[in-house]
Amino acid sequence: MIKRIKSLREFGNLDREKRKIRFDFILFFLVLAISSWGVLVIYSATRETLPGGVSDPEYYMKKQLIWLGTGIIIFIAIQFINYRKIQRYWWLILAVGIFSLVAVLLFGYEVHGSKSWIDLKFTTIQPSEFSKIFMVIVLSAVMSKWRSEKVSNITFKKVAISSFMALTFVVLVLLEPDYGTALIYFIVFIGLLFVSGANFLYILSILGLTAGGFFLALNAGFIKQYQLDRILTFLKPDVLSMEGAGYNLYQSKLAIGSGGLLGKGLFLGRQTNLSYVPEHHTDFIFSVIGEEVGFIGAILVILILGVIIWRCFYIASNSSDTFAMLLASGIGFIILSQVVINIGMTIGIMPIIGIPLPFLSSGGSSLISMFLGIALVENVYIWREVRKSHEIAYQEFK
Amino acid sequence: MGLNIKIRFRIVLYLLAILAIVLMLRLYFLQIMGGGLYAELASENISREKTVSAPRGNIYDRNGKLLVKSIPVKAVAVEPLIVSEDEDVMRILSECLNISYEEIKEKVEQSNLSYIDRLILKQDIDTATMIYLKENSSKLPGVEVIDLYLREYNFGFLASHLLGYTGEIDKKRLQSETYMDYEGGDQIGLTGLEETYENLLRGKKGKIIYEVDPLGRPVNILEETDPISGSDLYLTIDIDLQRFVEEALYQSILEVRQKKISGTDENYKVPGGAVVVLDSRNGQVLAMASYPTYNPELFVGGISEDEYAELKDPENNSPLLNRAIMSFPPGSAIKIVPAYGGLAEGIISERSTFYCAGAWTGLGENFIKYCWNRSGHGSLNIRGAIKNSCDIYFYQVGYGLLLKNDNSEELLQKYLRIFGFGSVTGIDLPSEDPGLVPDKEWKKDYFKDQPEYTVWFPGDTVNMAIGQGYLLVTPLQLAQAYSILANRGLEYKPYLAEEIKDSEGNLFPDSSEDDYQDLNLDENFIEIIEDGMVQVVSPGGTAASVFSDFPLDIYPIAGKTGTAESPPKQDYAWFASYAPVGNTQYVVVAMLEEAGSGGSNVSPMIEKIYRYLFTID
Repeated sequence: MIKRIKSLREFGNLDREKRKIRFDFILFFLVLAISSWGVLVIYSATRETLPGGVSDPEYYMKKQLIWLGTGIIIFIAIQFINYRKIQRYWWLILAVGIFSLVAVLLFGYEVHGSKSWIDLKFTTIQPSEFSKIFMVIVLSAVMSKWRSEKVSNITFKKVAISSFMALTFVVLVLLEPDYGTALIYFIVFIGLLFVSGANFLYILSILGLTAGGFFLALNAGFIKQYQLDRILTFLKPDVLSMEGAGYNLYQSKLAIGSGGLLGKGLFLGRQTNLSYVPEHHTDFIFSVIGEEVGFIGAILVILILGVIIWRCFYIASNSSDTFAMLLASGIGFIILSQVVINIGMTIGIMPIIGIPLPFLSSGGSSLISMFLGIALVENVYIWREVRKSHEIAYQEFK
Repeated sequence: MGLNIKIRFRIVLYLLAILAIVLMLRLYFLQIMGGGLYAELASENISREKTVSAPRGNIYDRNGKLLVKSIPVKAVAVEPLIVSEDEDVMRILSECLNISYEEIKEKVEQSNLSYIDRLILKQDIDTATMIYLKENSSKLPGVEVIDLYLREYNFGFLASHLLGYTGEIDKKRLQSETYMDYEGGDQIGLTGLEETYENLLRGKKGKIIYEVDPLGRPVNILEETDPISGSDLYLTIDIDLQRFVEEALYQSILEVRQKKISGTDENYKVPGGAVVVLDSRNGQVLAMASYPTYNPELFVGGISEDEYAELKDPENNSPLLNRAIMSFPPGSAIKIVPAYGGLAEGIISERSTFYCAGAWTGLGENFIKYCWNRSGHGSLNIRGAIKNSCDIYFYQVGYGLLLKNDNSEELLQKYLRIFGFGSVTGIDLPSEDPGLVPDKEWKKDYFKDQPEYTVWFPGDTVNMAIGQGYLLVTPLQLAQAYSILANRGLEYKPYLAEEIKDSEGNLFPDSSEDDYQDLNLDENFIEIIEDGMVQVVSPGGTAASVFSDFPLDIYPIAGKTGTAESPPKQDYAWFASYAPVGNTQYVVVAMLEEAGSGGSNVSPMIEKIYRYLFTID
């Protein structure tokens, strides 16, 4: 009887939910807020130093605004498509993803030693940013497809196929070479395996194989010593080394540390505004935040990003099918891994690998792909199936 | 969704929370716990401090004539720490400054090893060089063009020994505590008044704190403090009198060099000389000349090693030395002191006489002492003894002072010290020689390696009484001693800086103005001695002929000649004097090295100076 009363309560709730507009305002407005904040911080970071030799102090701010606008339009447009349609055309998305990653290897140009950019004349894009989302769609589709067959346990075959697809993406990005982005791809894959319910044995063996592969690559000389040095700099946090790999980290820590509790004020971060921190408008944007708005501001940024990630997983866990659950989780893992690694790198607890801070770093590919990802999460929320109240009642009764 | 998946989602959420907490904790350590340290490091990281030279104070004479001023010039300064590692920069500098690469490299590396943060490579560069360096500043990290102030001397050689010169601070000084707030390339007073009044003349440097970008290029100024000019110095010197005195000294040296030592074919060498003119009423130095002299402009912008070696070379009679404050044997010019001591100790009286037969055997037949006048002066009282500068008389005064109380008090030395000999006068010039008043203790110490000489012989005192032996005095000390006579026992400390005016126009009257001491001397004794000195320039005196045309009735002069033997050198010639007697204004003392008799070779110059002082044609 108790069960019954409970179900009746749920009955009432669902009835009320039906009348609501089905849109997750928390997610959308937090993303909008943090991205707008990013525009301001980018302006602060670039108006004096003018990276890349531009002459307009507002250049980067304006560009970011345009991308933000584009991102919002894409976000809205995506909502008109039911995610199930996207699921159906997963192979097309796989093709586009692979194609763009191959294209960048053939026609791309190098920035900081990685061939990860394609010049489309009117703008430049970084396919590996978009492919992140594509990979999540593809893996979600593949994993959920197996699942929809009435197989209670996730089979070895299923894991092998999804692993192969993930490996394809990872290898293509490694060829650029862009180790940071490849690492994100890998983490997202592991994350998806985890929430898909894969047996821990599979996950552990994939991790083991990867570690083995890494040491092989190191021994064979595929990974250079300087790259390893750079990655391991963070392990010696107390060495305030101004030389080589330590320089970025030293300057970033000076910037953030000197921000103190309240920061030096927006536009007043001398350490970052004078270019002491390299890449301060892209990968090291968090240094600007730490210096200018201090501990309070930095904590606020982390909290907002944390809530956004939480919303992704919340929507995932409340979605109506496995594809939707995996899709939203995958986006959540992308944001989670990038936020932790990027912020961790600027404060010296993560290796220095060049990946952008979602919604905040300057750059169109990063921002638009993030909006694409969030659009998909929102889509999962909007288009989720609300089970009929009598069905639930029936189930409970049974 | 299965239960398994729900648990896994919960794990993901826990992970999210843990990661967020880790990031926040790390931020807490960085920003809250380490915030202060990092803020300090960061401001060091981005800001640089640069000093701005202050103009050095000017120096004026007593009539407000500008003697020395500061002029701004451009100089090339480098940071040794940065430049020593950059051969290209040193090469470019070598080319455009016309200094050899090796020299630059050595200087920069040495400065770097000594942790000197700024090195001036070249002062007073021309505009073209300055523009070149500024235009190429991006290629020249650690190099900058700075403003420096150098000295300009309006009167060239004049008073160079008094004014002194400035120069770049050396490494040794930079590392010493006294010069802690100086930096490499600073100009400091190295000699003369420039050295004495360094702290007042130098002013206070300005400071600019500015932000730099990671390449060290200035971005904007954070803080700026203007430099404060150094204080101006107003001297007691009258530059016109100084010029007259220096010329008179030079002329008289040239004249004496033409003369032959009597009875030989040898000319007087006269390597140098000095003149001191004091205002007896207050100790002001009106003129102070030393020959040979030098041009202080040689030091402006750094003197070359060759030029400096030349100035230091004893062959050239060391022109850098100020002979007015160096010590020499005084000869008979010192006799006023044994005269006073003899009277005060009752060895002699106004009327008592000694007989001079040209030789004296008071110390025994084996130690015959002669008078300068071998034919003898006959019977002389104290006045006559001063007038004729009789050595026999003063031998006996000296001997009397020695015998009194068995020389337990060393009376002659005591009176020499009362008159200021044996210690510095305290004039505001560096490196003043205290001279030497020898006594038993000194002798014991000085000859400690030759025990047979450590004994004080009666002859030592006797010789000292006529200004011979080990006694050494400076022309300035002698001038001060004579001014004590003129002032009837009041001792004024001689000084050169009359007033100091800071950049805001505040005057600091020099405290030495009323700095006198009453020595409590007996006026009667002084008057007796003064009588004798007046007779020196009167008919029959040792300097009579020179002053025969001088209006002594209007401007009576009290003087004393001196001729000090200092073998193997030729005699040192002295004349010490003051005038007008009764209402004394001036003390004039002159000394010529290796110039024979003071009476005939120095007094003509003194006569000329008095004519100038009293404006007599």
